[in-house]
Amino acid sequence: MFLWPLAASVAASFTRDGALTLANYETVRRLYAVDVAYTVGVAAAGTALTFAVAIPACGWLRARAFGPVEFLLKVPLFVPFVVVGHALRVFMSPYVPGFSSSWGGIAVALAWKHLGLAVLLLLGAFRSVDESYLEAARNFGAGTGRVTRDVLVPMAASSLAVSGILIFSSMLASFSIPLMMGRGGGPQMLMIDVYYRFGQHGDFATASALGVVAYLLAMGAALVYVRRLTAGRHA
Amino acid sequence: MLVRLLALLLVLAVPASAATRLNVAIGADVNVVEVHKTLLGPGFKALAPDVDLNVVGTGTGEPASRAIYTKLKAQADTGRKDWDIDVALVSMAVASQMVKEGLLLAYVPQMKNAALVKGAEVKEAFGVKVDGYVVPMFQNQIAIAYNPAKVPTPPKSFDDLAAWAKANPGKFGYNGIKGGVSGVGFTMGWVYWKTGLYTQLTQGPFDKAREGAIRTAVTALRDFNRDAFITNGNAGTLDALNRGEIWMGAVWIDQLVAWKNEGRMDPSITPALIAPGLPIYPLYLVVPREAANREAAVRYIDYIATPEVQAKAIVERFGWYPGVDAERVLPLISPKAKELLFKGVSASDLARFSRQMPIKEYHDLITLAYEEIVR
Repeated sequence: MFLWPLAASVAASFTRDGALTLANYETVRRLYAVDVAYTVGVAAAGTALTFAVAIPACGWLRARAFGPVEFLLKVPLFVPFVVVGHALRVFMSPYVPGFSSSWGGIAVALAWKHLGLAVLLLLGAFRSVDESYLEAARNFGAGTGRVTRDVLVPMAASSLAVSGILIFSSMLASFSIPLMMGRGGGPQMLMIDVYYRFGQHGDFATASALGVVAYLLAMGAALVYVRRLTAGRHA
Repeated sequence: MLVRLLALLLVLAVPASAATRLNVAIGADVNVVEVHKTLLGPGFKALAPDVDLNVVGTGTGEPASRAIYTKLKAQADTGRKDWDIDVALVSMAVASQMVKEGLLLAYVPQMKNAALVKGAEVKEAFGVKVDGYVVPMFQNQIAIAYNPAKVPTPPKSFDDLAAWAKANPGKFGYNGIKGGVSGVGFTMGWVYWKTGLYTQLTQGPFDKAREGAIRTAVTALRDFNRDAFITNGNAGTLDALNRGEIWMGAVWIDQLVAWKNEGRMDPSITPALIAPGLPIYPLYLVVPREAANREAAVRYIDYIATPEVQAKAIVERFGWYPGVDAERVLPLISPKAKELLFKGVSASDLARFSRQMPIKEYHDLITLAYEEIVR
C-alpha cells in the first residue's frame, strides 16, 4: 500500500515521454536547487524556533503543572494548516508589512503550528524524568531554567531528537502555509514547486523528481530517527 | 381499473430512474459552480425536465482543469465506455491538450447556436486547432487595476507602466508565474510588448531562433520586478490594492467586478487595458468523447450559448464578458450592467488590446525563461 505509489513516483521521476532519463533531475538541479536549500533552511529555522519556545515552556510546566497554559500550548495541534497560514498572514501584515511572505514569516508560522506537537512530545519526556533528579538539582540551588538546561534536556535528549526530526520532516513537506503566506516570486518551498510543475504545466515527471528529492531529505532525518530508536533498544 | 392503477404507479415510480443525470464538472471557482447550480441548471431544467444536473466543482486555477483531464485520461486509458463526465468547464491550456489527445467530442456543429461561437480563441488555442470542440462559457480579461486617488493618470501602455513602476517602487503588484494565470498573462503581455512578436508567438510555427529575443524580454522583466511587489495570487493582488499596499496591479477583471459587487473592494479601483495588450483567457465548455449523455450535454451547452442566457446570467449577474458573439449579446443587457462592464475598459479597448495566449511551445519557453532568469 505504501511502497507501490512510492515506487510509481520514483519510476516516473526517471521517465520522460516513455524513455528512461535523468533529464527530470537535471531540471530540478537547474531550476530548483536554490529552492531545495531554501526549504531546508526554512524547515531548520522553523524547527529551531519551535524548540526555542517549547523547551523553556515545557521546563516551566514540568516544575509547576498549570493546566490552562498547557492547554493553550497544545491548541495549535487542532488548528488546520490553511487556517494558521491565513491567520498569521492577516495578523502580521499590518504590523510588519512584507514579513509574512518572507522566509522568516513562513518559519514563524510553521513554528506556531508545530508548537503543539513539540509540547506534547517534550512534556511527556520531561515528566518521565524522575522527580529525585530535579529535587537534587534544586537542593544545590538550581532554578527552573538551570534544571531544564542541565537536567531535563540532557535526560530527554533522545526524545528531543526524535521530536525534532518529526517536526523537521513535517516542515519540509509543508504546503498550505507557504501557499497562503508566500509570494509568486523568489525562492519557494519544494511542495509549491511540485504543485506548480503539476498544476500549471501538467509535468508529472519533474514533479515526481522534486518529490523524490523531498523523500531523500526526509529520509535523511528518518535515518537518524531509526538509529535513535535502535540505540534506545540496545541501551 | 387495475391496469390504469398499475400504469399510474409505473409513471410515479419511473421518472427518477428514467431521468437523464447530466454530470457537469466545473474546473473553476465556487462562484462559477454556483451559477450552474442555481441559475443555469434550473433554467435548463425548465426546458428539459427529463434532465437532472449533477454539478461538481474541482477547485480553482489550472489544477482544477488538470483534475478533470486526469480523470478523463484515466477512463480513456482503461478503455472504459460511457465516461462519467458529460460536460466539463476547463481552461484553454487543458482543453487544447485534451483536443490534441483525442479526448473530446466535436459537438459544436450539432448546436443550434453554433453560428454564435466565433472568434480566434474558438479556432485555435495554444497552437492546437480546437474549432468545433469548444464553446467559451465566458471570456475573462487580464487588466491593470489602479487606485485613482493615487494614480490620477493611469498608464495607457506598457511603456507608461514601466516608467510609473520605476518612479513608484513597490507600488505595482502582480503574482509572478507561480501565483496563477493572471501573472502568467501579464508576463506574456510583457513579452509581446518587448519582442513585438505577438503574431509569431500566437500563430506559430515554433521557431527556436526566437528564444534570444524572448530571453532579452524576460531579462528586462527581471529588472522591472525589482520595483514590483510580487503577490501570492490574483486575490493577493486585489487584497493589496484594497488595503492600499499597492496602487496598481495586474488582475482578472471578473474577480475585480465580483469583489466590488460583493462590497469587498474599494469601489473606486478601476481597470485599464494597456497597449499593446494583455491576454484574454476563456473557460471552455467541452463534451468528453465518450460522455454517457452526449445528446443532453450538447443541449445544455446550447442553452448556455443562447444570447438571452448569456446576457442575463453571464454578463448582468456576474460581470463576465460574453462567451459567444458579443454583437448578439450586448444589445440584450441593461444600460446599468453595460456601464459596470465597460467602466475603465471600453468595448473598443477590448477590440484593440485583447490578446491571445501564445502557442504551447512559446508559452513553455517563456515560463521556463522566467523561472531561470527572474525566479
